[in-house]
Amino acid sequence: MTSGLAAADTLDDMAQKAPRLKLARSLDRSLIVIFLAGLALACIQWVLLPINGPMGNVMMLFPLMTVVFLLAGLRAWHRRPANRLGALILFAGFAFFLGGLGNTGIPVFVAASTVGATLILAVIVHMLHAFPSGRLHGRLSKFTVLAAYVNSLVLQAPSYLFSTDPDAPFLAIADSPDVATLARMLQQWLGAVVMVATAFVLIRRLVQAAPGQRRVLAPLFAYGAFAVCMVPIGSHVLIPLLGLSREMNAAVQLLVLGGIPLAFGHGIIRGGFAKTGELEELGSWLGAAGGARSALAAALARALGDPTATLSFWLPRHGVFVNEDGSPAPLEAQGANRGQEEIVLGTRKVGAIAYDKTVVEEPALVRAAGQVVAIAVDRERLTVELQESYGALQRSRERLVDTADRERRRIARDLHDGLQMQLVLLALEAQNLAKSAGADAAAAERATHLRQGIDAAAAELRQLVHAVMPAALIERGLAAAAEDLADRMPIPTTLELQLDGGPLSSAVEHTAYFVLAEALSNALKHSQASQIQVRLADGDGWLRLSVHDDGMGGADLHTGTGLRGMGDRVDVLGGFLELSSAPGEGTLIKVDLPCA
Amino acid sequence: MRVVIGEDEALLRHGLSLVLEGGGFEVVAAAGDAVELEHAVARHLPELVITDIRMPPSHSDEGLLAALRIREKYPDTAVVVLSQHMQRRYAKELLSSSSGKVGYLLKQRIADVDTFLGQLREVASGGMALDPDVVALMVARAKQSNGAIRALTPRQQEVLGLMAEGRSNSRIAEELFLSEKAVVQHTSRIYDSLNLALDGDSHRRVLAVMHFLGDN
Repeated sequence: MTSGLAAADTLDDMAQKAPRLKLARSLDRSLIVIFLAGLALACIQWVLLPINGPMGNVMMLFPLMTVVFLLAGLRAWHRRPANRLGALILFAGFAFFLGGLGNTGIPVFVAASTVGATLILAVIVHMLHAFPSGRLHGRLSKFTVLAAYVNSLVLQAPSYLFSTDPDAPFLAIADSPDVATLARMLQQWLGAVVMVATAFVLIRRLVQAAPGQRRVLAPLFAYGAFAVCMVPIGSHVLIPLLGLSREMNAAVQLLVLGGIPLAFGHGIIRGGFAKTGELEELGSWLGAAGGARSALAAALARALGDPTATLSFWLPRHGVFVNEDGSPAPLEAQGANRGQEEIVLGTRKVGAIAYDKTVVEEPALVRAAGQVVAIAVDRERLTVELQESYGALQRSRERLVDTADRERRRIARDLHDGLQMQLVLLALEAQNLAKSAGADAAAAERATHLRQGIDAAAAELRQLVHAVMPAALIERGLAAAAEDLADRMPIPTTLELQLDGGPLSSAVEHTAYFVLAEALSNALKHSQASQIQVRLADGDGWLRLSVHDDGMGGADLHTGTGLRGMGDRVDVLGGFLELSSAPGEGTLIKVDLPCA
Repeated sequence: MRVVIGEDEALLRHGLSLVLEGGGFEVVAAAGDAVELEHAVARHLPELVITDIRMPPSHSDEGLLAALRIREKYPDTAVVVLSQHMQRRYAKELLSSSSGKVGYLLKQRIADVDTFLGQLREVASGGMALDPDVVALMVARAKQSNGAIRALTPRQQEVLGLMAEGRSNSRIAEELFLSEKAVVQHTSRIYDSLNLALDGDSHRRVLAVMHFLGDN
């Protein structure tokens, strides 16, 4: 798992370093222009605002926070070009900027500021509903956001049109305080309705979200709702309750608003919510990086903004989908929230993308991503196909070894229970014959001879059974069997055992035993050794066997069929066999078997 | 003498019973697996138990483990373990579990009825009986080792081997064409070399053989 994560990280880097497409570069240039324009506006505002006046410290916050909105919005837009939230953050920045203009004392700016005084609240409501995609989903969301805009732009109007706003008296067209009061009341009620509807929508989304998403959504929603409530009612709460000055209260409200772009910008980039894709980046990355397989799936997941997205490959020969490692992929994506889109190249099915439907709501997006990667998927499919057949071959080899072991066991058991027992009974019969009443001395002697012959045959059978599958290995495992082997060596054989890593699988035990038996028998037959050292130890998930003799050396893995066969067995288990046997320096055989 | 048998092969169980009864033993129970064997021993409290090592259900070493438990629980019950294959480790475990009253023999030895019955009687009377196969292993190893056993003369090693097989001094004398007195001299020199203090003779025999088995 760790290596998978690491791969995804490097991929992230690669995708970022990869050259961006023309379209993306054009976007970058536009964003730079927006940045410069926004920065210029903020500077102008700084100059126009009465920074040296009585509320100067608070005034400074308007241009500063405008720049924060600007940077956060541009970053989100740059990183997630197709996500509208970046643009929405910029829009919120503009509304914020508008709020600051009211303090410049220049009539046209004051008028604009007065008209859009509460626009920022509507935009924040809009952002809350549109997170994380930047689009509004569902009729309730759309109506609520519309109501919020109506509330802050239309219902705001009577307050400056029908009563004389002290900041912008020139906007008034008639003096009818009743209309203005009615409008203000309506505005408060509609505002409350908007907040209740928003709370309802957000809580419903929280309930439906996956736990991982909830961790991002909950604080973000809470903060957004807090900010929206803070601005209109903050002055009624903070000043009397905490004893804040008007200046402090204004500063707190501005800072709370300034946190909005940071929270949303961070949320869409880090929260794993970006549902609209960076297909351009994905495409350019494919061209640049050559598309390592697991990296392809990771890039896809990143582009879709769905970390759970997986890629599977179609094997027409078997008619199945398989994972990247060649293992069969589940046919139907599990879980109600899983969706699956097939990747088609021309008219051929080459793979499929499984994704989380709550994160990626539009299958069309997944299909589009599939089209971008189709050629790469088709190419990787061949690798996967190869891997699948390698896996099948490996499993078949394991089965062969397993079958061979089981056969040995069966033969040993049959000989033990059948032939060996019969030889005991036959020998008993011969003995009875020798002692039977009617037998003369010569017959008795021949019967005794017969029994001894049967005993000799039984001894040979014991040797045979021992070679096929030693009793010690079946009864007590590797350590006892190795000890028994060493006991029966006609030359001094020291055995060092360090086996304490828990039980070993029978495949590992049998392989280690038969390699040891083969190595000892080779040393006896060919090496003219005067002594042998055997070491068996386990630890760190490996069983390590070494057999070292002081003989003439010169052994070769490729000439003796016995050792080569052992090498095959070791290979099947994913182990290593190493032979060093320089002439005159003895032979050292080392075998490492994975046993975790 | 009352005997309980543990052997899963019915034919062999029957053959063994016949051999024992022919030799004057009384077979009070014959069990087909280790659990049944221990139950039978608890019920009959026999003087001798003869059991196979490998028995159902796992066909592993349950017969041997049962034998060790029986020796521990019923010190008066002698145990002879039969097997198709000899292992030094098993002999060691059996001997170290007790000071005698144990035997470890190849199944094939049953057919040499007189020797077999003699070994059973030796074990039941407090001695021991290891199979010549295991003794041969011990002798071969002793020749390679550097321990106290190697310091013994070849003749003493020979005597020690026959002691392990469960032969009495007179039988050893007969086999090696020595006087019984010479055999006694050999055995006491063996005890001296192995630093075995004066104790019951049969106990010292077991200890000497233990040295033989465990010597590296």
